[in-house]
Amino acid sequence: MTLKAGLDLGSTAIKAVLADDEQILWRGKSPTRPGQEAVGQSLIDSALVEIGAPENAIGGIAVTGYGKKLFSRPDGRVDEISANAAGLFRLSGGRARTIVNIGGQDLKVLFLNDQGRVADFRMNDKCAAGTGRFFELAARILDTPLEEFGVLSRLAEKDLGLNSTCVVFAESEIVSLLAAGTPKEEIIKALHTSIARRVAALLGRNSRGPVWLDGGPARNTGLLEAIEDELLTEVLVLEHPQYTVAYGALLALD
Amino acid sequence: MNPDFEQERRQRLFQKAVRKNRDETARVLETLRNREDYRPELDYFLNLAADTSATAAEKRSGRPALRLLCLQAPLELIHAAGFQPFKVFSGSLSTSTLATQDFPALICPLLRAVLGEMILNENDAPGLPWVLPTTCDWVVKFPEMLALTGHPSKPEFHWLELPHLKNRRDSRERWLGEIWRLKEFLEQISKRPIKRGALLESIEIYGHAAEILQRLKIARENGRLSSVWFMLILNAFFLDAVEKWTTRAEILLSALTAGRITGGRVFLAGSPIVFPNFKLPFLFEEAGLSIVADDLCSSERLFPGKTFITDTSVFGLISTLAGRYHQGCLCPVFADNDRRINNILGRRTNASFHGIIFHVLKGCHPYDLESFSLENGLKAHGLKFIRLETDYAPEDGQNLLTRLEAYHATLTDK
Repeated sequence: MTLKAGLDLGSTAIKAVLADDEQILWRGKSPTRPGQEAVGQSLIDSALVEIGAPENAIGGIAVTGYGKKLFSRPDGRVDEISANAAGLFRLSGGRARTIVNIGGQDLKVLFLNDQGRVADFRMNDKCAAGTGRFFELAARILDTPLEEFGVLSRLAEKDLGLNSTCVVFAESEIVSLLAAGTPKEEIIKALHTSIARRVAALLGRNSRGPVWLDGGPARNTGLLEAIEDELLTEVLVLEHPQYTVAYGALLALD
Repeated sequence: MNPDFEQERRQRLFQKAVRKNRDETARVLETLRNREDYRPELDYFLNLAADTSATAAEKRSGRPALRLLCLQAPLELIHAAGFQPFKVFSGSLSTSTLATQDFPALICPLLRAVLGEMILNENDAPGLPWVLPTTCDWVVKFPEMLALTGHPSKPEFHWLELPHLKNRRDSRERWLGEIWRLKEFLEQISKRPIKRGALLESIEIYGHAAEILQRLKIARENGRLSSVWFMLILNAFFLDAVEKWTTRAEILLSALTAGRITGGRVFLAGSPIVFPNFKLPFLFEEAGLSIVADDLCSSERLFPGKTFITDTSVFGLISTLAGRYHQGCLCPVFADNDRRINNILGRRTNASFHGIIFHVLKGCHPYDLESFSLENGLKAHGLKFIRLETDYAPEDGQNLLTRLEAYHATLTDK
């Protein structure tokens, strides 16, 4: 058995995917910390143990993400935008043409051609607004696990306006709202709406067909609904939206 | 606030900026010297970049340095008056910190760095007035900003009121009047008339420099000279006598061996890139991209090319120069700037690039605005376009690299 491994060395998590040909056999992640190559390698080792494959079963490792150059001798190295496009295009059965990726510290919009290649893309600059980092901060201030954001936002009775998606300003705004007795649910819904507006601004008028959302925050159903509401178009999410980039990287080993 | 405390704090800030500025320049110079494509003929330009002060330019050229902002004042005229034209620009992040207190957060990073350098080098060639064309709002407000820093030199400014319409007859006539006034001003401060012979000689000297610039452009297009070196050489243009710069560039050209471009061929447009802020040129290379042509006012567009003269009278020479520096200028401050797209498309024939990188310095509103219409126009011609908005700070390097790598991948996909 010859397996391929894809590693997405991101800013907040390292994601690994193992595949036999293109069939995903295993996926797993670990928080990003120093020694990214060792973390990535240990994920692959865990995968081999879990699927019962021998150590020499790995035929190639491809890396992507901010930490891709920290991996000393990969068999393939690919930029995360191209990997994202390749991964989601394949996993969507060739249907994806517009992708919104929300990563740990960036927000990307990708437009694909009919071959699944990147035709154009947009990306936020160094501001962390609308990224995974923003949600982490909000979860900490609200003392609420991110996993509950989707359910809670549905319970909101009012639409609240949040003035800022800036990580710094939003913190003080959320604290002020909490101090004024605003229910968490309404704050969370307002957060989703403000991020959705940012996604819409980045996307502009360029989407083709439904929008495919991926990256860690794509699991947040409240955010998905807010983006749908803002874009007035269908937003689709795969079962494991965090692993599309790692999977796309291993496709580069073809 | 205790004035002694404030004085001491400013002194410490100043010393810190001096040290950081020295380190910043030294670090980039060392990186350049350690490149595989370094060759000894580049030392001249590296040495110029090591000291970018007006004082150093005066010493090297043997002429008093006349400071200019932007590029609309005819260099030949200034040279013929006996001055060393000295374009004021700076890419220093460390000096910027000296000029942060009194200005808006989104001030043009280039002018912020210039103000910082002014504060840092208080005694750098004071005396002569500056020549300022009314290009963008930042330049127009520059004297006010300089005054706010409390700079002791308090220079005078000779304004050139730049008509922002190029295609109207009255605009051209007004501009011609401005250049005549510039001539009178130069004669007044040099205390001697600008003679026809001197003007013809200066036109010839700059014409030769323009020929060398053309050869440098070709060397870059065919991979004999990397874009990083090209930009350094052009950045150094005002730091020595034009004749010496030209001779050294010729020597370098003769020494260059055959080259080959392996990465994606792209055209660089937008805001200027000024030494030592070579963040972007280094990132382009890291992403496998080769800048084979550009239209930056710090690089290819530093001077507008050779002047062809039909009327050799003083009136004819002044009219020709005025026309070239106004009609030939592609700065986005002009309202009728359609030629900009045609210029880029025209360069495509020789430079064979597949895409455009558009650089916007944060706060540089004319380029920022123009990027959108340019994007639409160039994409319609099948060129891949990416817009990068950044400043002198290095923190967004990884973000920019991610975009550039993906952009590189799109260049090979049709």
